[in-house]
Amino acid sequence: MTGAAREGGAHVPIIVVGAGHAGCEAALAAARLGVETLLVTMNLSTVALMPCNPSIGGPGKGHLVREIGALGGEMAACIDATCLQMKWLNVSKGPAVRARRAQADKAAYRRRMTATLFATPHLTVRQGLVTRVLAAGGRVTGVEFETGVVVSCDRLILAPGTSLNGRIIVGPRSWPGGPHNQRAASGLSESLAALGVPWRRLQTATPPRIRRDSVAWAATRELPGDPEAGGFLWEHRTRRLDHQESCWLTFTDAATIAAVRRNLPFSPLVLENITNVGPKHCPSIDRKVLKFPDQARHQIFIEPEGRDSEEMYLQGLTTSMPPASQREIVRSIPGLERAEITRYGYAIEYDALAPGAMRKSMASRVLDGLFTAGQINGTSGYEEAAAQGLVAGINAVRSLRGEPPWVPSRTEAYLGVLIDDLSTWDHPEPYRMTPAQAEFRLHLREDSAEARLLEEARALGLVPAARTAAIADWLNRIRQEIARLDEMRVSPTGPLRERLTAAGTGGLKKQVSVGEILQRPTIGYGDLPGLLGADFVPGLSAPDEIAFLETDLRYRGYAAREGDRRAETRWLEGLPLPLALPASIAAALSASTRELLAGSRFEDLGQAVRKHCLSRGELAILLAALGGGRTSPPEGPG
Amino acid sequence: MVPTRVETIAAIATPPGRSALGLIRVSGPATFDLLHTVFAPRGKRAFPARAAAFYGVLRDPADGEVVDQVVVTTFPAPHSFTGEDVAEISAHGNPLVLGRVLGLLLRQGARAAEPGEFARRAFLHGKLDLLAVEAMAQVLNATTAGQARIALNQLEGLPTRRLSGIRARLLDHHVRLEATLNFPEEAIDEIDERRLARDLAAVRADLDRFAAAARHGDLVAGGLRVVLAGRPNTGKSSLLNALLGRERAIVTEIPGTTRDTLEETLPLGDLPVRLIDTAGLRAPGDRIEALGIDRTRQALAGAFLALPVFDAATALTPDDHEVRRVLKEVGCPVVAVLNKSDLPPRLTAADLAPWPVVRVSALTGDGLEGLREAIRAEAAGRGLSHLEDLVLLGVQQGEALERARQAVGRALEGLGTIYHDMLSVELEEAIRALGLVTGEDVDPHTLDRIFERFCIGK
Repeated sequence: MTGAAREGGAHVPIIVVGAGHAGCEAALAAARLGVETLLVTMNLSTVALMPCNPSIGGPGKGHLVREIGALGGEMAACIDATCLQMKWLNVSKGPAVRARRAQADKAAYRRRMTATLFATPHLTVRQGLVTRVLAAGGRVTGVEFETGVVVSCDRLILAPGTSLNGRIIVGPRSWPGGPHNQRAASGLSESLAALGVPWRRLQTATPPRIRRDSVAWAATRELPGDPEAGGFLWEHRTRRLDHQESCWLTFTDAATIAAVRRNLPFSPLVLENITNVGPKHCPSIDRKVLKFPDQARHQIFIEPEGRDSEEMYLQGLTTSMPPASQREIVRSIPGLERAEITRYGYAIEYDALAPGAMRKSMASRVLDGLFTAGQINGTSGYEEAAAQGLVAGINAVRSLRGEPPWVPSRTEAYLGVLIDDLSTWDHPEPYRMTPAQAEFRLHLREDSAEARLLEEARALGLVPAARTAAIADWLNRIRQEIARLDEMRVSPTGPLRERLTAAGTGGLKKQVSVGEILQRPTIGYGDLPGLLGADFVPGLSAPDEIAFLETDLRYRGYAAREGDRRAETRWLEGLPLPLALPASIAAALSASTRELLAGSRFEDLGQAVRKHCLSRGELAILLAALGGGRTSPPEGPG
Repeated sequence: MVPTRVETIAAIATPPGRSALGLIRVSGPATFDLLHTVFAPRGKRAFPARAAAFYGVLRDPADGEVVDQVVVTTFPAPHSFTGEDVAEISAHGNPLVLGRVLGLLLRQGARAAEPGEFARRAFLHGKLDLLAVEAMAQVLNATTAGQARIALNQLEGLPTRRLSGIRARLLDHHVRLEATLNFPEEAIDEIDERRLARDLAAVRADLDRFAAAARHGDLVAGGLRVVLAGRPNTGKSSLLNALLGRERAIVTEIPGTTRDTLEETLPLGDLPVRLIDTAGLRAPGDRIEALGIDRTRQALAGAFLALPVFDAATALTPDDHEVRRVLKEVGCPVVAVLNKSDLPPRLTAADLAPWPVVRVSALTGDGLEGLREAIRAEAAGRGLSHLEDLVLLGVQQGEALERARQAVGRALEGLGTIYHDMLSVELEEAIRALGLVTGEDVDPHTLDRIFERFCIGK
């Protein structure tokens, strides 16, 4: 820590504003890369706060967390160390959508993250409210605090969450404020607007919390954790976790729906005192009743906020109706008849960047030296925020060092999908990561995160060399065994043929490799000694390595078929806009397409294609003219 | 810098040659401005008005000379074939006049349209789906009423609706599947694999039928190739002439007169038949004849129906037996023709079993109607008589349809053993491929559909 970073009125290379999930990752990444970094938060007691649900992970989100861990980010390690419960989701539905989800101990998570920040060299953590961004000549020069103190910087990473001009809405009432009864941050958006940064308003909401002691548990169903679920960090992939805390499940019924209906006149949705629809994936109970009027039964998960917390979170019961309405609705639910609400649900409206204001690198398109991460970019979710923070921290350092930004491809990582989608996200509601967002999800499996990102991890330098070496050894063992099985050829005759037929494969006539045999979903690595006899000596014994091998082989056919499209996507990603076209080709395109390709509304051709701004006819013309496409991809499927 | 102006294109729309009227089509944003410089409408109406016809003269502004008296019909955007401003100029159908009109338009700033450019612009502006574009080309190239009928039917969008229906069923299953994969903790019903298997089997059957309709459409679009074959001098060329009703092929008493294959359109009601005369099959006398016989074999290989012609007044010769052997080898459908039925018979239908036999006399015309009927019956027997059910696909569309069928097949066979994430990829592949056939949106918009259908909210 430099003396300069410690004192106001001084200079620090990188300032990170906001110590939520995005800000923590950004600050840690920048400092761990060796750059003096100042992390500023308006409340040092609420670092890495989870103001909404007490959980991390799930399909898509959990993939992000594992990728963060693979690249040396902190979220994976922190939640592994502090979770109350760990669970596999989608186990039977396939390795590509399989994901872990952890119940968080909010306080423990906050404490551990705070300790990590303070223990990190080159990182200074301070409390303070930034009210103004300073700039000169289109470039950020520093920030001003509400106390009047000015700190200058070379790069500024804004990760303010929902606090920018935050407005809390409860029924007909509303007041300025941030999440968790914090203050709203005013001034900062206005100072950026004056510098040309465009804004919009987004909205999100959270359910009420109730006293743990006021729940009638007998009316609910216990949902225990899975001791075998491992953790998000590669090192924890096979760890065992006993003594987990349970969650609890109850359901709304007709009485709840009636209670919601009675109180609809007080819903901000009906009062129309709220900006927009809020997150589609997390609708309020009032919206659910309005949109799906025939459905009476909705799941309500009762989740602990922490091991020592007296409060429980009501997942599925998001609402910003007035307190009396919330009480009536909560108490209509079986098991919650006597529930005491400790904190009422509310909606919050906040400033987020207008679509197209940030790049895939997380850098601003308007102001040099400015990076943004988290809800300010239009996402929801702790995991999405952390992922962006990591990218923003890395790229702030890279730009400081005059290096090109690190922009992972959407063909290689959920991180790539996230930043690519975000830089063009123009829907009126926040963005959430799910496997449906990733078109190459059979490749982007949770268990392959380290394999996909090993080279990137090495190059970026956030992962200790000993760790990458250990991961590389693990991967090599598996890959060598796969290569061995591919070379091992057998003739399915006699007893082997009978056993293969019995295993439901059939149709094997000529000589096949053992690798091909394992492509059949009904045969596992463990069946090989039985099928091949004493000739077969297994090269792997660790269950996680065997599982990886089996998955890799089973998805091989799909990966091959996906290969062309992946190569095309990569190729399109690699064509930055604006694009200079020969006049003869331009003449074959519509005026709007020519404008699109000549402008910089999108960063690359791939984005323009995904946003349906090109007809397929026009894309075909471009692919032919630019030499890309299916027949001659510029590189193999990788 | 890339120009952003859309060019205005013009082309003569009627075929070359002299006719009463010739049509020149102009499309693009400058269409009406351009016409203002050369067209003086008679009467008081302002030009251009919304979708109206104007009588007037075209005048060359360079020398003030009248080029032609014309009728200009206007179709302002977007209510036109291409979706752009369009004008159709009806001029006198003299190639010289039409050439001068087009030249005038090009001098005033229009560009000569490339082949298919009007249709391409129509597709780009969402005026035609891909099946309709294909149909468009086929309507223009149709040589029989039947071909035109299939193409027009397709232009009406009936096959597109059929395929969209199939695609919608796949989308329905895909969105259910995706909802369970993306939101595992929501109270969404698990996939009923038995029901899915039943529906996928039905989809596969429908796609098979559609693919068959496309194969048949291909056959009909190219014309049903009916090949006259046989040893030399059985009267194949005479039969061709008799069926066509004119002396198309040279006929002599010298065996082996026909050296090359000869192809003519035989309109048979709605059915487009390509009637092909071939060199007689025998041990070749010279190199030219040998090449001709090779071509005969090729023609038979691609035949919809072979008509081996035998001389009813002569017993089967070694060459006749050779013909039977060749046809058996090729394996195409056969109706045998016993020609020269006007002469004392030496050969009967029984000698040609198991082939069905038609007796004709190319000389007198007896039995020709029976032969036509036999061709029609063959087409009906192979599902080609209901032209409404046929579909025309371009090469890429055909490939996409095949990809969709394979993906559905893999999903169906994999059900019960493959993971649902794989299953979903197969369905998506099929949906995307079917979108390529119809030109519908390729992206299934999965999340939007899930949120529409299911109450997600954990």
